[in-house]
Amino acid sequence: MKNALIIFLFTSVVTLFYYYVGQMVPQNKVYPPEVVDVTGSLSIEQMVEAGQKIVTGKCMSCHGIQPRFPALQGVGGIAGTRKEGTTDVEYLAESLYDPDAFIVPTFAKGMTAATKPPLSLNDREILTVIAYLQSLGGTPSVSMDTKLKYQGASGSASASAPAAGKADEKKEPLSGEALVTNFGCAACHSMTTADRLVGPSLYDVGKKLSKAAIYEAIMDPDATIAEGFFPGMMGPTLLGAGFYEKVSSGELKVMVDYLFSLKGGA
Amino acid sequence: MKATANFRRFLILASSLASLLLISLLFLGVENVFAEPEKEVAYRAFPWIGSRVAIWIVAQLHLYFAAFVLAVPIFALIIEFIGYKTGEKKYDKLAYDFTKLLSVSFSLTATFGAILTFMLIILYPKFTDYFVSVFQPTFFIYVALFFFEAFFLYSYYYGWGKFHPLLHLGLGLGLNVVGTIIMFIANGWVTFMTSPAGLDEQGAVVSVWKAVSNYTWMPINVHRIIANVAFGGSIAAAYGAFKFLGAKTDEERAHYDWMGYIGNFIAICAFLPLPFAGYWLGKEIYAYSQNLGMTLMGGAFSWLFIIQAVLIGNLFLAANFYLWLGMGRIPGAERFRWVIKYILIVIMVCFAVWATPISIGAISSPDEQRQMGGAAHPILRFLGVMSAKNTAVNLLILSTYLSFLLYRRGNKIPTVSWAKTGNALQFGIFVVAVAIVMFIGIYGYFVPTALRIKMSVPQVITVLVTMVAVTIIDVFMFRGAKITSGIQWGKMPKIAQYALFFTAITFTWLMGLMGYVRSGLRQHYHVYGVMQDTSPDAFTPTLGFAAGVVSVTVLLFFLLVAFVFWLASLTSKKDYGEPAGSNTLSERYH
Repeated sequence: MKNALIIFLFTSVVTLFYYYVGQMVPQNKVYPPEVVDVTGSLSIEQMVEAGQKIVTGKCMSCHGIQPRFPALQGVGGIAGTRKEGTTDVEYLAESLYDPDAFIVPTFAKGMTAATKPPLSLNDREILTVIAYLQSLGGTPSVSMDTKLKYQGASGSASASAPAAGKADEKKEPLSGEALVTNFGCAACHSMTTADRLVGPSLYDVGKKLSKAAIYEAIMDPDATIAEGFFPGMMGPTLLGAGFYEKVSSGELKVMVDYLFSLKGGA
Repeated sequence: MKATANFRRFLILASSLASLLLISLLFLGVENVFAEPEKEVAYRAFPWIGSRVAIWIVAQLHLYFAAFVLAVPIFALIIEFIGYKTGEKKYDKLAYDFTKLLSVSFSLTATFGAILTFMLIILYPKFTDYFVSVFQPTFFIYVALFFFEAFFLYSYYYGWGKFHPLLHLGLGLGLNVVGTIIMFIANGWVTFMTSPAGLDEQGAVVSVWKAVSNYTWMPINVHRIIANVAFGGSIAAAYGAFKFLGAKTDEERAHYDWMGYIGNFIAICAFLPLPFAGYWLGKEIYAYSQNLGMTLMGGAFSWLFIIQAVLIGNLFLAANFYLWLGMGRIPGAERFRWVIKYILIVIMVCFAVWATPISIGAISSPDEQRQMGGAAHPILRFLGVMSAKNTAVNLLILSTYLSFLLYRRGNKIPTVSWAKTGNALQFGIFVVAVAIVMFIGIYGYFVPTALRIKMSVPQVITVLVTMVAVTIIDVFMFRGAKITSGIQWGKMPKIAQYALFFTAITFTWLMGLMGYVRSGLRQHYHVYGVMQDTSPDAFTPTLGFAAGVVSVTVLLFFLLVAFVFWLASLTSKKDYGEPAGSNTLSERYH
């Protein structure tokens, strides 16, 4: 029995040591790429903004600081000169739809077409990406009406609803306000006044909490309790209402962004 | 006083009510989770710890026991075969001792497998539905094979000594073949999630075979066979250590010391080629998708490999430490003691190189970065790249192999006429191998990335060829060698047994960590590029969180292993009410 206890203690100590090692390295959560709305007509500024979100979420692991593929800094300025006989838009479109057609010297093949998984961009999203890339050292010249020779081709996400389509039918994204309404948050939280209901008012929650804290307040409501309120209420309520089963990660992010934007009417 | 008593009563009442409320809420939560039969949902939340963590723990426990159940028959069969060929009963007894651990482990594997299946159906219904649509035919084969696995396993265990040895060996072979096929099928499911194949543009299955035999299937198959043997050997060695510490007689101590040694030997022999299988897997991941490869090595999981380096470095240290202690039970091995300190230095230096990150921007202050002139240390950053790390791991392997070699010849003196030439040849091969490994490592700094990655192959081949060539020379050179003394089995310090426990715990933790990266690599996909994870758990957690889950799983596993060890040790206990000196049940039947 004594031996068993010592062995158990030893096992616990060694395991705790490795747990400690795990805490010593940088701690980063990685969230799924933001769902970017590219529906309707977009101005060039909106296209650049949308393209930037897509590139930041999906491209920078390979085109980042120590890139496996060419870095994107200044690409808008040199895209028109990289390949003889092609304009900057044509070059950028080709590098997204058919990346192996031209390989920048000293780099190797390997990039997946942007229309294929895991990027799975549709034609409209690709136009916004081109607009953003043009803005890096150049002037965006594409619009949402620009026609590219690749558009609608087999494999293009918009034309064929990529492989992801079988399992993930895309639906029109809802705004943060609509999501908060649909999930019935207002039943317990006032969104428009500082009045206290069952839970604290969210009227000016963006002034009081960071995005991370709002996220935590939704996902783990008892982690931090607002003064004057009790633990054990919101978690079981959300659980009981099936909130955690219904909300997607993308929707959660939109909701957090919306709640963060509530600054008390200021 | 009265006020205090009233306050105490109030506290008791309040805490009782709070407990009641809490229990009600918990039940309410659980009930709501599992009470939505009519509505089609993609996810259901597991109470308190969440679906992801619940599935993670159960799947990992299932994998631990499955790995053990698949590994033990491999080396039990080999040891039994050696016993059959040499006629030495001790091998047969050892093989039986290993097999004793199997039956309970098999039950636990099946139990956790069933729990995992139910949890997938309940918590991830949409994903499970899709998965079934792809792999439906394989499930029938799997279940049928599982029946055969049970047949072979129990007839192998309960039939020990009851059949002709060749028939019994045949049962063991059947057990291994069926077990391996079962693992291959399950690997097809798992690897499909990372590198899906055999699908049309809509994600519907076109070829089940292609879905199974996807890019990472065979590398995982090979990697898992080797890793299972390493893991199984380490757990079996821990059993030997456990029994050694509780042994009452010198005879028992000698047997379990030997068992621990053999288990550890198996673990380390399998461990040495494991990094090469890992390279292959990594190469196939890159070949399938550069994005996945980048996520693995340069993205969200890059720091995970620093943790891995600590674990593997510790494994090398523990393995060598055990061997060096083991040389103490071999009179005559003292003559090699002077070499140990040099091997230790090489191991420590290689360990440090392997655990060096290329960039420390994420863990250094702005002031430190200013002093360094960037996010990477001006000198140490050169050790943080693959060229240095590959060199380090290859030298670690060669060092450990050298320790084995010295241990092996501890009590032997070669009698062949060419012994001096043989020794010189072995030494020469070692020197050339080290020179090649170091040269390729340094040369790698001056060539493009694509070529640098390819250059790990000649490094690996150099080390493998060295180990094979030196072993062949050694076998011939020590044929008919003069044995200066017998190995004094049982004369091992207690700390050596803790080295075996340490190895087993480290292997288990490492397996949990690598299981996490294999699965987590898909990030916000259930099936990479095909089916997105849209649950609130779609984000990739911090490495600290993962380390927490792995640690909990490891502790749970060892609690269950303690149960397995205890059950296995019951067979050597005297029957209830039997006087001392009478045979145990197992002795009577074997």
